[in-house]
Amino acid sequence: MSRHRQGIIGAHEDPREILGVATNAGDEEIRAAYLRKVKENPPDRSAAAFERIRDAYEILRDPRRRALTMLLSADPEAPLVSLLPAQVSERRFTGPGPWLAVLKEK
Amino acid sequence: MFRKHQQAKTPPPPASRRADPDVLISQGGEVRALLERGSTKSAVELAKQIHKRCGTPASEALVVEAYGARIRSLLEHSLTAEAKALLELVRERYSSARQSLAGIDIVVSSCEGSLDDLVRPLNDPALSKERRITIESAIKRRVTDISALAQCAALPADHPLRVGARALGEALVSVTSGPVTDGALLLPQISHRGPLAPWKQLVRAIAHFYRHEDVACERCLQCIEPDSVSARLVPAMRAMLVQRLDDGSLQGASIALVLQVGGNMEALRRALESLDAAFATKAQSKIIAAIQPAISACRIARPELVERLRQHVSIRAVKLNLPVKRVQAALGGPSIKDAYFWRLYARGIETSSEPLAPIACSLWEEFRRHAVAEGWFREEGLEAATLYLHMAELLQEIPREELHGAQRNFMESFPGYSFYYEDQPPAIRRVASKHTTSDFYYLFPDQLFARACALDPHREAFERWLDWARQESDGKAAERVAESWHRALPHDCRPLLYLMESAEKRGALNKATGFLEQAEKLDALNPEVRRAALRLLVAQAIRHLQQHKTHLAEQELAALEALPQALEADRPAFLAALRWTCSVIRGDTESASGHFTQVSRVLGGPAAAILTCGSVAEACGLKRDNFDLHLPRGVSHVDQADTLAAAVGRACALGDDMDVVFSIPTDWEGALLKELAHQPSRLEARQLRALGEAALRRDRRELAYAASAAGLVKGGDSEARFLLLRAQALPEWEFERRAACIAAAAELGRRRRDMTLVGEAVELKRGGSRRRMDFLDWLATADEDAFSMSTEQVSRVLKREKQSSRFPAYKPPPFRGPFAFDEHVFFNDEEAEEANDKATFEDIARLLLDRAEAAAKRKRRQKGRCQIPEQGDLF
Repeated sequence: MSRHRQGIIGAHEDPREILGVATNAGDEEIRAAYLRKVKENPPDRSAAAFERIRDAYEILRDPRRRALTMLLSADPEAPLVSLLPAQVSERRFTGPGPWLAVLKEK
Repeated sequence: MFRKHQQAKTPPPPASRRADPDVLISQGGEVRALLERGSTKSAVELAKQIHKRCGTPASEALVVEAYGARIRSLLEHSLTAEAKALLELVRERYSSARQSLAGIDIVVSSCEGSLDDLVRPLNDPALSKERRITIESAIKRRVTDISALAQCAALPADHPLRVGARALGEALVSVTSGPVTDGALLLPQISHRGPLAPWKQLVRAIAHFYRHEDVACERCLQCIEPDSVSARLVPAMRAMLVQRLDDGSLQGASIALVLQVGGNMEALRRALESLDAAFATKAQSKIIAAIQPAISACRIARPELVERLRQHVSIRAVKLNLPVKRVQAALGGPSIKDAYFWRLYARGIETSSEPLAPIACSLWEEFRRHAVAEGWFREEGLEAATLYLHMAELLQEIPREELHGAQRNFMESFPGYSFYYEDQPPAIRRVASKHTTSDFYYLFPDQLFARACALDPHREAFERWLDWARQESDGKAAERVAESWHRALPHDCRPLLYLMESAEKRGALNKATGFLEQAEKLDALNPEVRRAALRLLVAQAIRHLQQHKTHLAEQELAALEALPQALEADRPAFLAALRWTCSVIRGDTESASGHFTQVSRVLGGPAAAILTCGSVAEACGLKRDNFDLHLPRGVSHVDQADTLAAAVGRACALGDDMDVVFSIPTDWEGALLKELAHQPSRLEARQLRALGEAALRRDRRELAYAASAAGLVKGGDSEARFLLLRAQALPEWEFERRAACIAAAAELGRRRRDMTLVGEAVELKRGGSRRRMDFLDWLATADEDAFSMSTEQVSRVLKREKQSSRFPAYKPPPFRGPFAFDEHVFFNDEEAEEANDKATFEDIARLLLDRAEAAAKRKRRQKGRCQIPEQGDLF
């Protein structure tokens, strides 16, 4: 795996957070989350995001590797900025409410 | 001042007081110019004056036009009531206004929120085009509630406006709630020229925005008409596209949208960077001052991260020994001591420059209990097993001789972590209260391995447990592990092979044979089983030859010859050497000569045969005087001076293959060194390695060094292996080079996934766990970070070692300072060497300072191993 690949997961990143699964998620749940995320970020549209998702899944699909990653993913020495989501331009879905509020604002 | 301002804005009086149509036209132009500038109030005043003087229908039309613009202006400023009152007034006063201000009436209706009144005229088939355009324009400019339009009772359900509004409402929900397909954005119900066209562009812009297709998003934004309702979102969306919120152009709802969608990341990022910078200074006041702003920014932008941030700050503060109360005050209270906290704390201890394995294990135990309580994993789950293995691995880093002391000291002084739970919520305290501090299982690798293997019995875990147990002086521990392994994984032949080997070592050959038979039943084709069968028969034959029971050895040799694996590669030469030994014991010179010839033929020459036969005979307990006579006279290494290294390498590789130690005769060394120096490429890497390792066994470092030099010249995948050989061959005083070679070998091994080599490198760096680390080992292991190398560093080490083909000849004299030291201190300073070994005062001072620091560090390490953090340091 290339170190310089755009979508690589940082040592202190939790692959569960990338896939958006709970700490106690099982195989089925992880696979479902992976497929959902890939659907959301297909490689032709967002290559970097796709690679991160794939890497996260590769780690989580092996139960022992998954368990070890769960233990070692915490990095107390990591910059506090790294607590923020890794994607710089994160765009959260909010539902229509905040958008309509702008339209209705006088 | 206000009056002055008003006066300034009042238009100048008309130039003429006559009802001259020309003048009216020219002054009407002034009114329209004012309207174009947006000065509607002034325009109305001027138009009124003109009409007062002229009193013609044209002047009235001018006044009504000005009033119309004024009413629209009031509507734009949300002064709907004022606009409506003015409209009524104008209608009453000017008869022509009723017709010309009909469109404004619609706009006023839409502003009052009476959507039904606005759209109802659309049901009229006779509706004029102008009025339709006015209504549609009003919809475009005023309707903010698309769902209200979709449900508008004034229009039939299948009216294109309602259908389109419904589709837009659903699309808006979709694009703002999650990713959508391109099909969802087609919206064929919406006409490009209809009143809802800006909404369609808006929906598409939002979809592109979430897909990070910023160019397409901007293109859609540009298509939104500036006076439409949808255009109100354009500034906010552009701010989100460029991720800037600091130009002050956005208002409340827009700011809220930007924060919710992108989070106020910049402010939070800056606050966190400031806090990181403060931590880097290690200055208490700076850190404390930076904590509170970071927490506040996080609470605004990312409230869900506040607790995580507090836990990270707590751990960082613990490591810097900051005052608890002040940090807690800045954090706004103690951090939650949940599984996340304990994991972070444990990682902090184990990754610190002075890892304290017992403390880290106790913290992992806290984590385990909280993780189970919080549902991270089951108590009997695979994750728990992985954790036990990890804890055992941490303890393995402590030299065995020190582990027992560390365990004892920890158990005597550990007060528990009750202090941490004082300010915690009941759910956290409940987990703590269930715990008893008397169970220190986590300090004992054997117990940890047993737990791990019970929860998740798999080969790797048992292998690690067995590796651990094999280092115990009592061989029974390893046997117990192998038996557990065999019980848990009865189809794995590895534990049986270990039990076989163990039985063989203590002379229980029948038992060993029994284990081998079991392994053969499981997997007779397994290369390890095949090899074990060969090795066991060889061991039995050697044992019988040691006892001079040649008739029994003959049986084993016959059995060996029946094994297909005994006929592979150079192994027939080994069997022939065994037969030669048998003949020697019997005193059968003729037979011995025949077997020697056979060995010589297989190995390609007499030198390899001499080494092989001699080494096998020594393994069988014969003295050199007893068998030397049976070696061919007049044949020696001198006859093969140019191929001696190849012969020795080949013979040594055979010895390694058969697990029999081959010893290179001392008087061959000079010729070997000469040949390795001049013809390094004649040997295979495997043979060079065997030669080097054989030399190391006899502590012939120069020969091993020459073998490593020849191996390094060959390059390729075996470079890592020869770097490791080089590390072992180097003189002790070359400890820095040695450490660099080990690190480079480990790094290369890691990259080539050769975990055996990595394991050997780690073991070599540790100095072997079976012996106490000496000063040189301590120097080599003092900087753990040096064990990791970049590609450039590895290349540099390789280049240097390849160029250093000559064995280091210089051994500097030991230095003794004015104070007594336990260890010898060696210089490795080129300047000092050049100074004819005379250390300057500065050298001595520097050396003493280094020594004092090293001693203090070692003392801290020793102390740390049996101490735990002070309660005052805890959060």
